[in-house]
Amino acid sequence: MSEARATSQGVHEPDRLLAACVVALVGFGIVMVYSASAVFAAKEFGASTYFLARQSAFAVFGIVAMAAASRIDYHLYLKLTYPMLFVAAGGLVLCATGLGTRVGGASRWLRLGPIGIQPSEIAKLAVIMYLSYSLAKKAEKVKTFTVGFLPHVLCAALFVALLLLQPDFGTAIVIALTTFTLLFVAGARMGYLVGIVLVALPLAYKAVVGSAYRMRRIMAFLNPWEYRYDVGYQISESLMSFGSGGLWGVGLGDGKQKLFFLPEAHNDFISAIIGEELGFVGIAAMLGVYAIIVYRGIRIAWHAADAYGTYVAFGVSTLLGMQVLVNLGVAMGSLPTKGLTLPFVSYGGSSLVLMLYAVGILINISRTRRTAPTYGWSLGSGPNLDDGVTT
Amino acid sequence: MTRARREKTAPNRASAAAALPPNVRRPAAGEAPDPRSVPGRRILWIKLRIGFLLVLLGVGLVLIVNRAWALQVRQGDELRQMAEQQYLREVRLPGRRGIIYDRNGRELAVSVDVESVYANPREVTDPARTAAALAGALQVDEPALAKKLQSRRFFVWVDRRVQPDEAAAVRALRLRGVHIQRESRRFYPNRDLASHVLGFAGLDAAGLEGVELTQDEVLRGHGEVIAGLRDARGNLVFAEELIDGRRVAGGDVILSIDKTIQHIAEEELAAAMTTYEARAGSVVVIEPATGEVLAIANAPSFNPNEFGQAGAFQRRNRAVCDRFEPGSTIKIFTLAAALASGTLRPSELVYCEKGLFEMADYVIHDAHRDGWLTPTQVLARSSNIGAAKIALALGRTRLYQFFRRFGFGEVTGVPLPGETPGSINDYRRWRDADTASAAFGQGISMSSFQLTMAVAAVANGGKLMRPLLVKRILDSRGETAEELLPRVRRRVIPETTARLIADMLTAVTEDGGTGIEGGLDDYLVAGKTGTAQKADFEHGGYSEDRWLASFVGFVPADRPRLAMTVVIDEPIVSHYGGIVAAPVFRRIADRSLRYLGVVPSFGGVVRRRPRHRDGVTTLALAAEGDSIQAAALGLHSPPPVPAAVGGQANQAPGAEGAATSPAADATRTEVSSAPESPQAEVETGAPSGPPRPEDEVIVWESPRRPSAPALQPIPRGQVRVPDLSGMTLRQALLAVRRKGLGLQPEGTGVVVQQVPEATSGVPPRTPVRVRLETID
Repeated sequence: MSEARATSQGVHEPDRLLAACVVALVGFGIVMVYSASAVFAAKEFGASTYFLARQSAFAVFGIVAMAAASRIDYHLYLKLTYPMLFVAAGGLVLCATGLGTRVGGASRWLRLGPIGIQPSEIAKLAVIMYLSYSLAKKAEKVKTFTVGFLPHVLCAALFVALLLLQPDFGTAIVIALTTFTLLFVAGARMGYLVGIVLVALPLAYKAVVGSAYRMRRIMAFLNPWEYRYDVGYQISESLMSFGSGGLWGVGLGDGKQKLFFLPEAHNDFISAIIGEELGFVGIAAMLGVYAIIVYRGIRIAWHAADAYGTYVAFGVSTLLGMQVLVNLGVAMGSLPTKGLTLPFVSYGGSSLVLMLYAVGILINISRTRRTAPTYGWSLGSGPNLDDGVTT
Repeated sequence: MTRARREKTAPNRASAAAALPPNVRRPAAGEAPDPRSVPGRRILWIKLRIGFLLVLLGVGLVLIVNRAWALQVRQGDELRQMAEQQYLREVRLPGRRGIIYDRNGRELAVSVDVESVYANPREVTDPARTAAALAGALQVDEPALAKKLQSRRFFVWVDRRVQPDEAAAVRALRLRGVHIQRESRRFYPNRDLASHVLGFAGLDAAGLEGVELTQDEVLRGHGEVIAGLRDARGNLVFAEELIDGRRVAGGDVILSIDKTIQHIAEEELAAAMTTYEARAGSVVVIEPATGEVLAIANAPSFNPNEFGQAGAFQRRNRAVCDRFEPGSTIKIFTLAAALASGTLRPSELVYCEKGLFEMADYVIHDAHRDGWLTPTQVLARSSNIGAAKIALALGRTRLYQFFRRFGFGEVTGVPLPGETPGSINDYRRWRDADTASAAFGQGISMSSFQLTMAVAAVANGGKLMRPLLVKRILDSRGETAEELLPRVRRRVIPETTARLIADMLTAVTEDGGTGIEGGLDDYLVAGKTGTAQKADFEHGGYSEDRWLASFVGFVPADRPRLAMTVVIDEPIVSHYGGIVAAPVFRRIADRSLRYLGVVPSFGGVVRRRPRHRDGVTTLALAAEGDSIQAAALGLHSPPPVPAAVGGQANQAPGAEGAATSPAADATRTEVSSAPESPQAEVETGAPSGPPRPEDEVIVWESPRRPSAPALQPIPRGQVRVPDLSGMTLRQALLAVRRKGLGLQPEGTGVVVQQVPEATSGVPPRTPVRVRLETID
């Protein structure tokens, strides 16, 4: 196959616009993390630059990782599919069994010496890699139930279950949605997809109603002001942050909500601080940059040299897009969940480094874009789904 | 935002659509990618699916942008207000409240730091145990505290203004979520002194009464605006500008009050209260030339440090807030009006009808059966008939106009809360009986503060001054922000008339006058007594046994330095202004003038005849004197004396109704004027008070006596060195600067030694060397 690849694929310019947008967002994120965390950090850690320094270090590390990934042939990951899956699942199991570090009622971190790692971040990427590998390999058999549908659903279900044990409802939802999206794009039968939704809905309902923690969160979502000093506190404060910003914002660094009113202001709810300090204009501009990134990601998927590349690029892009939408939806009180970071902007090493690495893979896929169809029935500039895995 | 959405969705759709037709490249070899073939249809489906998902993502983006628009732009104001409420909500610590000084820079009200304990329930891990621990260290109710700590709030007070050892105990407990906050507490170092002027500030350092209330804007500072910016844990946000406490501290207020004179007034008033078993009393002392208020004393008084324990009766600033019918003291202004208008000549004689004057519908009685009297004698003997005749000759219009010009019926504008304007009916409704009774102080009412301002106008050559209580306002850096200067409100009477009246009024305290007890040995006193029956609100008319004794005047009469009113409400032992109020006036005036170092009138020898200070000898003197005669003969003058004089004094109580006929008018029935002879006291021999220990000190015959150093003559052109002992550096600086001297301080603390010594004369600008030491 390598011979075929040599003729079918040329080495191309990497997607510089994508890289520029991502790096810009990372820089913007560092600024916002500092603005949101300075007071908190000074109080808790004695240095206002505590989070700034750490996030900067993560960013440097992550961008190096991105640059490296953009030069590593993405087909390398084919061999790593199952090891990655096992590492992610193992990490989640460790978390679930209580070896993880508990923060705020959820066990999401694994301590590895001086650094903490979030297995759920690895899981997102691992699942996408697995599905891409599997769907590309099975090609036409995707339409079958036992071979093309069931293994993928079971794998995703395993991860969803492990994540719910932490509990990390947000990541679970994103993994389920990404799986669903990839199966849909790969051509799984609509009947199966509708069926899985019909099966999942009662389970999800039971999961929510059966857990006081989730039920309260839903109640707070439905009426944040009533639970303003209780479970709805964070969301109420977030809404007030957005509202305080108005059209143009109160100015960078001048937000008041980060003064301990809004918990995790530098983390999952950093968009609230962006909304307060930079206003609607800031939020809209940021969304524009995300839109460019997702669009470029899907373009890369469209032009990828083989089905594997298409699926990986598409999975990473939709994961990114969905995570942005879910994070902002939550912060603005439109969606009832939490535990999702705003990609590239929120504070957090695991999330930032892994997301940047994923973008590095995207760029690598853009380099190996197919110039001319050399064989088969492939459409010129369309997704090449039948090349399968071109190793 | 629309643009952002388009950026996202439009190109995506475009790429999805454009990807097919123009860019379709047919493969050079192999099968044609026929859309109808199985793989071709599959490709098409996949493109549609990707397109569909892109549309979904685009819809999500539109929804989010729409949501942001709704939150930030449409509901923005509402949400911002909610946010502001929570960080501006918990205002707990205003800036340090400014200091109130007296005119010489002595502290009257200060702020001291105290500590308060509060908790952040969200930080408290074990409310029950925390509450138990705190209950052990502080005097707090444990169950109530435990309940507070279980709340989801960010801030609750545990105990405010705790003792230092209690605060130390709480610190030692090291409880999570329990914090100690420094607060400013108002402290009045002189306790009762000037309490009615100062008022008090409440728990959150907000002025509630007196100057604390009227100057609250200045004293309060800007604490609540800036300090209100707090984070969710209740900490002050550490912006640099906020750390500078001076920016939020309040300004200082320097009053015209002289602490020493205030102290003298309060001490003497309190002594008179005890001596005469009076219900209440007040003293007002004003500097005539400037209108500066030197003292306002009220009895009973209260300790503003514990203002909560005092009742409204104690806290009432009656000198300013209460009005009363002035009685005979108003004759000063009746005669001033007549003399100024020219309807009365100083040498003119007034026939006083032998003590009984029948008008058409009104009968006026005098205490003395006098015939022809000069205007001076009308004042000295306090003839109601004389005053009435003079007023009738003047006419109601002019009498009313002069009274209004003296400031009666309008507030003086002194910056104290609740000042009464007094009351004076429209002259167009006055009948002759009303004009006549107004002439001797019935049917109109005023506060003793108003009365003092009016008499100060006479002392000040006829110019009515605006009262000056707040002299200067300092900003928080100690620099003068505002200086209030004396201002003339208006000229009331010509200067010659004012001089004339002052001269006449000196006769009141001389032999034959009703106010002989108000006279001083070394200074000429211009004054007027007043003895008024109080209105009886239960039965109508005037009370028969409730009196108001007063004395109004200024000293020295020739060059007035002090104008003063003394009002004693419901004295029991005696009730005559000349007996009850005049000695209080004398003592306050004497001590104050000597404190001020005022040069005695005529070289210190006003009178060479012996004078006696205690009640018993005064009575003996009065009994001998032939000038004070005739007991209380007036119809409305039943003195509450024992049966021995009852027949003489209470001749015709049945005629009360006739005498007080104007009093039927409800607006003017508060107090009544009455004869002012101390004769009843003379005959019963009732002591007007026990001898006072300091009387011996007060009596000094020789102006060269060394125990009165303030009056030792100094060479012309030199200045007297003030007594700096016990003063702080700042106070000493102010004191020497006032005298035009310099200061060479040494050490810290308060002044323990000074060179040259106090009261000695030195050339101007001589530096005074002082040594300060810390005394604890």
